[in-house]
Amino acid sequence: MLSIQNLAIGYAQRPLASNISFTLKAGEAIAVLGPNGCGKTTLFRTLLGLLPRLQGAIQLDTKSIGDLSATEIARNIAYVPQVSSSFFNFSVIEVVAMARTPHLAWYAQPGVPDRQIAASALAELGMADFAGRPFDELSGGERQLVLIARALAAEAPIILLDEPTASLDFGNQFLILDEITRLTSRGRAVLFTTHNPDHALRIAERTLAMSRSGHIDCGATAAILNSKSLTALYGIDVQLIPGPNGPITTVGK
Amino acid sequence: MVNRFIIFIIAGVALLLAVMWALAAGQFPISITELVSLIFARITGAAAHAAPNADVVLFEIRGPRMIAALMVGAALAAAGAAYQNLFRNPLVSPDILGVSSGAALGAVLGIFLSLPIIAIQGLAFAGGLAAVTMIFFIGHKIRGHDPILALVLTGVVVGSLLGSALALVKYLADPYNQLPAITYWLLGSFSSVTQQDAAIAAVVFVISLTPLFLLRWRINLLALPDDEARALGLNVNRTRLIVILAATLMTGASVALCGIIGWVGLIVPHAVRLLVGAEFSRLLPLAMIVGGTFMLVIDTLGRTIAQVEIPPGVLTATIGTPIFIGLMAATFKRKN
Repeated sequence: MLSIQNLAIGYAQRPLASNISFTLKAGEAIAVLGPNGCGKTTLFRTLLGLLPRLQGAIQLDTKSIGDLSATEIARNIAYVPQVSSSFFNFSVIEVVAMARTPHLAWYAQPGVPDRQIAASALAELGMADFAGRPFDELSGGERQLVLIARALAAEAPIILLDEPTASLDFGNQFLILDEITRLTSRGRAVLFTTHNPDHALRIAERTLAMSRSGHIDCGATAAILNSKSLTALYGIDVQLIPGPNGPITTVGK
Repeated sequence: MVNRFIIFIIAGVALLLAVMWALAAGQFPISITELVSLIFARITGAAAHAAPNADVVLFEIRGPRMIAALMVGAALAAAGAAYQNLFRNPLVSPDILGVSSGAALGAVLGIFLSLPIIAIQGLAFAGGLAAVTMIFFIGHKIRGHDPILALVLTGVVVGSLLGSALALVKYLADPYNQLPAITYWLLGSFSSVTQQDAAIAAVVFVISLTPLFLLRWRINLLALPDDEARALGLNVNRTRLIVILAATLMTGASVALCGIIGWVGLIVPHAVRLLVGAEFSRLLPLAMIVGGTFMLVIDTLGRTIAQVEIPPGVLTATIGTPIFIGLMAATFKRKN
């Protein structure tokens, strides 16, 4: 369980947001919404212990994140970065096996059990056939699935996904959203950022809305996201209209 | 997996053939049967069936020279593989980054001051480290549009600065004793390697190879963006520092032993990566075998194809330039 109290994030000369408080529990998904530059990535970097917090507390179960080593954080929080390309041709199974690093001694390489964990993580996402393929030759959607498999192979209870649907085509976006739902049904706690309020409305129990002025709202998605709040958040006229599976957004006039 | 196994076998056989050729060929030819007999005689103490003086040629001239060429080729390829991961850039190597020039400047200073070999090694390491530190920080500051280009250009600029410092030392050197020694040594050569030089270099190679071997898995993660690697539990700064020190120490020891030999550290790891993938625990041993074999073949060619000995750096550059252009074209094509 990750609990955040009165957290202030940003850089010493440029604080981005403050008074962030929420608790992420096993089996739930929280969406982080907000316009460009509101500090979503900074929030993630702070939660991962990559950036010092300006104020407040981040508790992982009973311990403060500041007291944990990079290895201990990595065993508890898996991070799914935005899909990027690398110059090096690692195979898919090698990319997934990288998640085993925090479980290995500093001089060791993944052994047979680690490779099995990596292979079954790929299989869970229906990617078993891709194990030997070069990572760089996959499509954007396939790479995103591999990176999610890597988060599974870390066997961490908490998974942070940075814009998992960005740069994916329409179909792949929904494939990834379904996978996030399956992660929570397996008991993982998921925090993900998105630029699309419909994605939050579709799969997130709760939403953290960050405005560019540093104002933070957190609560049940249905309570946080409405026509008024979305219009204020993005500065365009957003309407929430009823859809067959719940409310969806439309941008007016 | 079968494929990779076959590649390792082929590399091993090629290494063995190169070793036999290097020991047999030259001004004083030794036949294969003589070779086997001499080695057998050395082990068992029995009398050898070979021409007189063949054992001196084999064990005191060609043997140390062969071992030096193998070590230097393996070390330059290992250092190149490590630098390429570290800079996330398949087009860097000890010579492109200017590490070799820095090490050469250190070593030439050592020769200029008539220091013992161990001090020359130390100065070569310090010079290489100064160059790589400079390049790392400049590349870090100006990275923006095209990191590959920025790094390669930084290496060129730093290399030329070090080159002018080198020219200054040569200008100041004693033109009758030191200058010919420095010039000859800068060309890169294994011909003057003694058993003692090779032994000192071997110790340094083992010391610097150990951390690369132990960190073989974690070096893979250095190829990822920093945040991603740190989120996977890697202490990026510490790992990077250890790898830089190890690769630079190796380069420095190579340069102190036989001068600057370019291209091996670039082409060998790059080609091996195409064969077996980027995973460092596979890349490192194969790059070392191929690098050692390549260096040995080049050196043996250099001392057998012409009346005069051709410096190995000349041959590697002749082969390396067209290969580098091809790799550069392929890399930029893949990026776009």
